[in-house]
Amino acid sequence: MVNAMLVLDLVERAKTVPTGATFTVALSGNEADLTAATATITGWCERTGNELVSATAHEATVRHGRAPDPLAGIDPDQLPGTRLWMYTNFDCNLACDYCCVRSSPQTERRALGVDRVAQLAAEAVEAGVKELILTGGEPFLLPDIDEVVAACATHLPTTLLTNGMLFQGHRLERLRAMDPERVTLQISLDSGTPEVHDSHRGKRSWQRAVNGIRIAHEEGFRVKVAATLPAEQIHELEPFHVFLDSIGIAREDQVIRALAHRGVSESGLELTVETLIPEVTITAEGVYWHPVAADHDDQLVTRQIFPLKNAIDQVRAEFIEYRMRADAAAAWFPCA
Amino acid sequence: MKPLLIGAVAYTPNVVTIWEGIRDYFADTDTPMDFILFSNYGRQVDALIDGTIDIAWNTNLAWVRTVAQTEGHCVALATRDTDTVFQTMFVARAGAGMKDLESLRGRRLALGSKDSAQAAILPVHFLAEAGLADGDVDLLRINSDVGKHGDTGRSELDALRAVLDDQADAAAIGINTWEAIGRDQLMPGAFEVFWQSPTYSHCNFTALDTLTDERVQPWVDRLLAMDWENPVHRPILEMEGLTQWVLPKLEGYKSLFEAVETQGITPRW
Ligand code: SF4
Repeated sequence: MVNAMLVLDLVERAKTVPTGATFTVALSGNEADLTAATATITGWCERTGNELVSATAHEATVRHGRAPDPLAGIDPDQLPGTRLWMYTNFDCNLACDYCCVRSSPQTERRALGVDRVAQLAAEAVEAGVKELILTGGEPFLLPDIDEVVAACATHLPTTLLTNGMLFQGHRLERLRAMDPERVTLQISLDSGTPEVHDSHRGKRSWQRAVNGIRIAHEEGFRVKVAATLPAEQIHELEPFHVFLDSIGIAREDQVIRALAHRGVSESGLELTVETLIPEVTITAEGVYWHPVAADHDDQLVTRQIFPLKNAIDQVRAEFIEYRMRADAAAAWFPCA
Repeated sequence: MKPLLIGAVAYTPNVVTIWEGIRDYFADTDTPMDFILFSNYGRQVDALIDGTIDIAWNTNLAWVRTVAQTEGHCVALATRDTDTVFQTMFVARAGAGMKDLESLRGRRLALGSKDSAQAAILPVHFLAEAGLADGDVDLLRINSDVGKHGDTGRSELDALRAVLDDQADAAAIGINTWEAIGRDQLMPGAFEVFWQSPTYSHCNFTALDTLTDERVQPWVDRLLAMDWENPVHRPILEMEGLTQWVLPKLEGYKSLFEAVETQGITPRW
């Protein structure tokens, strides 16, 4: 009659906490007992409109009433799976001191490859993805980057991230092969004058990036500029914005983000899966929580890239779990 | 207009959420209200009679008490739909061979708090009606949370535990507790109902008859208009355990008046 006692405990404990709060009941016994107990709790919860949050060998945590939709407060644009990020490759002509994925000319390429990109793009449409974002490394190092981009752009609007320094010769031809109607370029530029940018990304890299922006404009592309700044510099932005205005970048295309403590960067924001809204990211190694940590095992979600829908579902499920835990923690420690 | 003051007993943390919700519901009307929480029904009935509050959300026992103390100068204004069809369930271990109240002769019956109409006062009344006098059934009284008239349900759960622990052969509990444990479906083979009482009335909003119709009628009308289909009203109704506020069924209190009378229940706990 262990489980009958358990139900009585559930009823009693539920009355002691307000709706929305959680309570625990003690569990004990062998594996079969625990399975039976969990089944009893699940049945009681379903019947009485409560919710089993978790169960260990010693206790079950139950919510009095049901939790509100954990994704309710999220901007629809931030729902995991709205965008799909793909790392086309990891090697780069630069070796920036803050690179979140440790790219450099020596870094192994680890290319995703046009076939997998094409399959991902096709499955992305099915999975409800609205935009594809290609990044690296430096994608223009790939000899087939035009095909990779075309494989995406036939399915969905596509943004290609680049340092903008390689638009010459064959590579310029590959840029010209892309459809400016379907492809947006996002070029990295950290400051309105060369010093700051070059100090992180290498001599004359600022001038070449600015040239790259000009070429991309001439070829008819919409160009977004992304700057990576230490959090403490984020407030001194106005001169930078004025500069970007002067080279024809629309204000909504001026993206400023804080430096993350990832990759070879020695400082920056600490970003963990618990605190980071996911952006589903695919590399040759697997599915990652967020592009900023695409080289870090702690944010590897699964090595199984296909079917893409399962990967997205898994990220969403984990995200919901973190949010619910965070909500519960917030409820445990109300501010005075 | 001065808000109507409603009294309620704080028997679960949800009481605060429920009454804040009800207060908000009345906030933009011409009958605003506020509430005062009491720790027990004795104190609440005192406050109703001395005019501290205008209306009391009373259990059936608190209603019977108010009628007695005011010599009938009080009115029941409204009630939950679930209050008009309340029942006491007599439960035993499944397969214990109980058929009716007569089966309890010479056996042990666990009762809840002495001030619980559903789990103590009325069960004894139903036994008497079935011809079982004092001493015919061995009563195990579990007096937890006295003062709250059985609202916490704790004594009823303890009565069920007594049955499982073989300290009693049967327990008398309210139908709300029977529902809360999932009837006999969640724990097959644990409990079964062998007798269920006729329906009777449970809680109601009680006012003194000196509160004018002009004050009270718009408030009652407004209360009855709370709508289960309205997503703002629904959570409050769910927490308070009803789908619709209705007018009280006064004949449903008859059995409790008789029980209080014959059992010589004291005026207050
Ligand atoms: S930050 Fe970008 S440009 Fe710099 S090394 Fe990394 S991938 Fe290359």
